[in-house]
Amino acid sequence: MIFISTWLVTLLLIAFPYPAFLTLALPHFGFLFVTWWGLMRNYQLSMTLLLISSLPVDVLYGTALGLHGLLFALIAYALTLLGPSIRQVNWVRQSTVVFVVLLIASSVSYWARTLTGQSPEFYILVLQAFVSAVLWSPMRWLYDGLAQYTQEIGAERQ
Amino acid sequence: MRPLFSETSVAAVRLIVAVTFSVATIFIDSRFDALTLVRQVIKTALWPVEQVAFLPGKVSTEVFGWAQSQELIVTRLESLALENERLRTEQLKLQTLRAENSELRRLLGVQERVNERLLQAQIERLSNDPFVHRVTINRGLLAGVAAGQPVISADGLVGQVVAAYPHASDVLMMTDATHHLPVQVTRTRERAIAAGVGRMDRVELRNLPDTVDIVPGDLLETSGLGERFQPGIPVAQVKEVIRAPGQPFARVIAEPLAPLARLSLVMVDLSEDEL
Repeated sequence: MIFISTWLVTLLLIAFPYPAFLTLALPHFGFLFVTWWGLMRNYQLSMTLLLISSLPVDVLYGTALGLHGLLFALIAYALTLLGPSIRQVNWVRQSTVVFVVLLIASSVSYWARTLTGQSPEFYILVLQAFVSAVLWSPMRWLYDGLAQYTQEIGAERQ
Repeated sequence: MRPLFSETSVAAVRLIVAVTFSVATIFIDSRFDALTLVRQVIKTALWPVEQVAFLPGKVSTEVFGWAQSQELIVTRLESLALENERLRTEQLKLQTLRAENSELRRLLGVQERVNERLLQAQIERLSNDPFVHRVTINRGLLAGVAAGQPVISADGLVGQVVAAYPHASDVLMMTDATHHLPVQVTRTRERAIAAGVGRMDRVELRNLPDTVDIVPGDLLETSGLGERFQPGIPVAQVKEVIRAPGQPFARVIAEPLAPLARLSLVMVDLSEDEL
C-alpha cells in the first residue's frame, strides 16, 4: 500500500506539466522515489517491483523502456549497501551521499542514452543530480508523511 | 564457517539480473521498436494519472479566464474578428490558387495532391527529461491519429507522431537528437537532412558540400523525400553557415520557424497516409 501511494505521487510529480524553462531546474522525482525506498525501506523493496514500477517512468519521460529500470536498480543497490551508515546522519551529509550516488547513476544514464542515439550534455545530468540531492530532504519528509498516513488508514480499516 | 552465499552476494546477483534485463529491454526498444504495444498499454493505464496531474493547470486557466475583465475580452474579440476577416480573405485567394495549381498539375500530368485533413490538438505536456523533445497532445487513436503523421503549427513544422494511444499521442519534435528530416532550401532547391541536436532553438544541416549555395536568412522547407512529410512545409530559417578551412563539409545551423518551447496548439496532418 505504501509502495503504491508513494509511486502514484511520484508519477503525478513526473506527469505534472511544468513550463519548458523549468525543465533544467527540475529534480528527477523517480530517483528521489528510489532513494527513499533504498534508504528508508530497503527491507521491503523488491527488485522485480522496482523494475515494473520503472516502466511508467520511462513512458512519462519518453526514454527507452528499461533505462530507468537500470538506473533504479543501481541506485537501490548502492543505497541499500550504504543505508545503515547514512540513515541517521544529518541531512547535509545524507544529501551529499545521495548526490554522489545520483551522479554515478547519471554517468550510467549518459552512457545508455548515448547508445540509444541521444546526445546528452553531461552538465545537465550533473545539475539534475544536484537539484535532486538538494531536494532530497523535503522529499523525504513528504514520503515519510505519506507512508505514515497510508499506514494509519490501513490500521483504521483493520 | 562463512556462508557460501552471503546476503550481499544475493543482492549483487539480483542487481546483475536486473541490469541484464534492463539493458536487454533498452536494446530491444531502441533498436527494434518491438515494445510499442507495451508502451501503449502503460500509457493508456497512466491516462487517469496524467489527467489528475493536468487538473491544477486546467483549473488555473479556468479561474484566470473568469478573472479576465470584460474590457479585455471585448478587445480580444475585436482583434480576433479582424484576424478572422483577414484569414477569410486569404482563404479566398488560396482557393483560387488551389484551383489554378490543380489545373496546372492536370495539364502537366502530375498526380493531384490530396486535400489536407488537419486535426487541431492541444499540447498537454512536454517531457520533463531535458534530452527528450517529446510532447503529449490530447488527440489519439480515437480521433484518427496514427504514428508517422506530421504535426504542424501556424508557423511551420513541429515534428511527427511517434506513438498514438486511445486518448493521446506522443509527438517527437524535429529538434530531438534522434529526429532527422529531409529538407530543401526554398531559394535554391538544394536538398539536405535537418538533424535535431537536442536544443529547442536549432536544427543542423550536416555533410553539405563546402561550396553549397546557402546563406543566413534562407528558408528551409520539407522536400517530400522519405514520403513522410508533404513537400513545401516551412521548417526553419538558416542562422549560421560554418565553413571551416580545410574541412570538406559545411555546417549549417537553422532555427525552427515554429516556437517549439511556447506552443500550445498544433495541427496533426491526417492526410499523411494518403501521400
